[in-house]
Amino acid sequence: MSLTEKQKHIRNFSIIAHIDHGKSTLADRILEFSNTVSEREMEDRLLDNMDLERERGITIKARAVRIDYTDENGEQYALNMIDTPGHVDFNYEVSRSLNACEGALLVVDATQGIEAQTLANAYLAVDANLEIVPVINKIDLPSAMPDRCKQEIEDVIGIPADMAPVVSAKTGLNIKDVIDAIIRDVPAPEGDADAPLQCLIFDSVYNSYLGVVVYIRVMEGTLSVGDKIKLMHTGAEFDVVEVGVMDPFGLRSTGTLSAGEVGYFTASIKNVADTRVGDTVTKVEEPADEPLPGFKKVQSMVYAGIYPADGARYNETKDALEKLQLNDAAFTFEPETSIALGFGFRCGFLGLLHMEIIEERLEREFNLDLITTAPSVIYEITKRNGELIRIDNPTNYPPPDEIETAAEPIVAASVITPTEYVGGIMDLCQDRRGVFIDMKYIDTERVELHYKLPLNEIIYDFFDALKSRSRGYASLDYELEGYEASDLVKLDFLLNGDMVDALTFIVHSEKAYGRARKIAEKLKDNIPRQLFEVPIQAAIGSKIIARETVKALRKDVLAKCYGGDITRKKKLLEKQKEGKKKMRQLGSVQVSPEAFMAVLKLDDED
Amino acid sequence: MQLYSNEQKRLGLYFHIPFCLSKCAYCDFNSAPVSNPEIISRYISALIAHMESYRAGAASYAPDTVFIGGGTPTCIPPEELFRLIRAIKKNFRLTKNVEFSIEANPATVTYPTLLRLHRLGVNRLSMGLQSAHDIELKALSRRHTRKDFEQSFRMARDAKFDNINVDLMFGIPHQTYQSLMHTLSYLTRVAPDHISLYDLKIEPGTAFHRNYSEIAPYLPDEDTEADMYFGAVEYLRNAGYLQYEISNFAKRGHMCAHNLKYWNCDEYLGFGVSAHSYFNGSRFSFTSDIGRYMQGVEGIRENRITITDENEAVEERERIGEYIMLRLRLCAGIDSREFSRRFGLDFDTLYGDKCVRYIQNGFMTFHNGVYALTPAGMFISNYILSDILEFEDFGRYYFGG
Repeated sequence: MSLTEKQKHIRNFSIIAHIDHGKSTLADRILEFSNTVSEREMEDRLLDNMDLERERGITIKARAVRIDYTDENGEQYALNMIDTPGHVDFNYEVSRSLNACEGALLVVDATQGIEAQTLANAYLAVDANLEIVPVINKIDLPSAMPDRCKQEIEDVIGIPADMAPVVSAKTGLNIKDVIDAIIRDVPAPEGDADAPLQCLIFDSVYNSYLGVVVYIRVMEGTLSVGDKIKLMHTGAEFDVVEVGVMDPFGLRSTGTLSAGEVGYFTASIKNVADTRVGDTVTKVEEPADEPLPGFKKVQSMVYAGIYPADGARYNETKDALEKLQLNDAAFTFEPETSIALGFGFRCGFLGLLHMEIIEERLEREFNLDLITTAPSVIYEITKRNGELIRIDNPTNYPPPDEIETAAEPIVAASVITPTEYVGGIMDLCQDRRGVFIDMKYIDTERVELHYKLPLNEIIYDFFDALKSRSRGYASLDYELEGYEASDLVKLDFLLNGDMVDALTFIVHSEKAYGRARKIAEKLKDNIPRQLFEVPIQAAIGSKIIARETVKALRKDVLAKCYGGDITRKKKLLEKQKEGKKKMRQLGSVQVSPEAFMAVLKLDDED
Repeated sequence: MQLYSNEQKRLGLYFHIPFCLSKCAYCDFNSAPVSNPEIISRYISALIAHMESYRAGAASYAPDTVFIGGGTPTCIPPEELFRLIRAIKKNFRLTKNVEFSIEANPATVTYPTLLRLHRLGVNRLSMGLQSAHDIELKALSRRHTRKDFEQSFRMARDAKFDNINVDLMFGIPHQTYQSLMHTLSYLTRVAPDHISLYDLKIEPGTAFHRNYSEIAPYLPDEDTEADMYFGAVEYLRNAGYLQYEISNFAKRGHMCAHNLKYWNCDEYLGFGVSAHSYFNGSRFSFTSDIGRYMQGVEGIRENRITITDENEAVEERERIGEYIMLRLRLCAGIDSREFSRRFGLDFDTLYGDKCVRYIQNGFMTFHNGVYALTPAGMFISNYILSDILEFEDFGRYYFGG
């Protein structure tokens, strides 16, 4: 099949990189260089439009932009740049974005070399049959080692790198080399504009005026305004209202998109959940025989309870969660009740970063104070009666005598680290019940370690521990591998004899004692003294395995009356009363939300 | 001396002398080291001018307590002090049996000065000993030793002062239960008429607060402090000093009438920087800035500079809150009959339920209609008060929601 003239002048590419290797900055420079955006307009990075992303310097949701570029021979190209999230939580979204492209720029920081996510992303690109164009970035820095970096790319990923553009996205050095490489190395898109329609959805965004804006790559056929379309996996049908491309400044209606093009459509769709990433759009009349391969329903991997610190703000919290979900089909929630925390929600996330992002957005954009319970994974329990249940809330874990087998999710983890930290990291992985797979030298100074690890060990402060043991140098990537039977126990905590459901953990039996002691100590340090002595107990079933005591309050007094300064004393007491009002009543014990968070915060190493 | 008339209302007067020889490490009162005598003189003149401006407004009052506090009132030139006292007597109709107190630090008074003070009508002295152990005094950066105190105390007795209070402290860095008991044993032998025992609190703006990490390891912990307090209450009781307020103990007939005004919600007028008043249904205080205070008072007729810091009328419900907060500091507690006479409300109905668990657990007693805190309850009185008082009881400070 021959390419049309139009197709010959299209290049669809992604930029992939490890966090902080300069992906977004490079994207800015490409936009700027192609004169699509003037420098002054570049003040904010256009591809990252959420505040949070900008602050963290990472991209959360994929975005795409079309760059119109005329080369020195007067040839006009449409370069579709599709940005991808750079974090392990969003691997599936990355893979769908990559499937919309023919090529990928692999950005490597010349001072850091290849990192865990560089590799993970490169492998995803290879899986998607993309042409990989390596780009060596940050060569303006004195510690840059571009040659060593190229060598690494050739040795580890196995693609030629001697032609790789060597750039500084920060200063704008050699950006034209990158654009030349895109036009030269990335294949033009194929596809037959007259074939039955097949569009790949790689992202969607809710807009209050347009409804859901669906980002697509047309693989086969042509999509036009007025078409009656069908989403092949959900079966939903819609009438297309608008079709167009994404300018750096917004949506530009074109009325039609044909095979090879990247753009958007709207069809009065109310909910992003109807437009799942990876789904295939076809026409109701003359549909495609098959959907595009690779669709997966996104699964939450990590669950946590989210509760308003002030119980009266339950409805506000619910509204906020609903609003967030409009734009994030991967985020799920349903109401739940805790004896300790009152009314709240059990929320599902792709991973820890995703959870953190949602929490921060709730607190920042919706101004909510939240109590978040410790994250949990989904356990698969086969009961004695043959029933299979999936547990996303530790409180619902069945009693031991009902359990035939229990299984927990296992991930394949890859850690890249300077060799000097290998010992410490291996100890850490061992300690977290890791099973060593292999170890590969990337070069003389860096190693890639492969481990099989239970996911519930990773969500329990693994990343922080990894960073602290490697002085921040080690990087982590992981992928769900499946479920394995495991010796799990449910660990409960009791305050003054009353169980605190929000503190219940599922933990491997070998870890139970250590974890129990640690949390009991934290509770002791964070629960304010009460009128009476408060015993803290950690229990597996009816067996107490750790115990601490909060001594009774004996002193809380203002001894002096400050020469008749009654006002000062009144203010002090009133503040104290305010604090009391916020306290949660756990049985007979009062605990402040801050104390709760301190206990649940997984900040230090075991 | 003015004649005392029956129709006249009672009033407490407070005068703040913000000067000290040096600043103690724990002190967050408004005080500054004595600098030049001119400022002191100007300040005393300002105090006098200020009280003169109240002369008409206080005409219907007969003050029955006067308290000159600080700072260290006795560290300023004695003549200035005498000038102040004469002006007080001139501007107010003090009652015949007025309680007239002045704070004096050991080693800042001479026998002749004490004699003059007594002749001028000062009849109560309050001396800051804090501890009988020189090492603890040093930790507090007090300038005097136990010996200095002993001499000053003897001089005061010789000068016919028969009503002397001595301030003590507990929770001092390096202090132990034993050393506090020694201090108490020493002091009860010296036998003042009144003892105040304050818990050291590290306040922002003090040297202790700035150097907290250095002293923290030497501070007695919460439990030791509780032991110290309960031990002291018992020791003093056995020595004939009856506790009548959280931090105050007196021999029979020697309770401090001036401080009792604070706790009984009676009226008092405070003059000087940072001085607080409860007068005519309002609580107010004056600026803490000495320059501003003097300028403001000097131009008081033109009323150009405002010296009032806070000023608020105390509403009915807030008065109830204050009454409870203050009366529960006293061993006399709250008599529900007196409460209903004052406010026309029933204490049991409003707060009785909340008191039950404190009564059951030994933090409070309830006898013959009187609610009172036990020493154990007093030492956690913030906890109890912040529990039983309602937000409305805090009046306009309540912004919660």
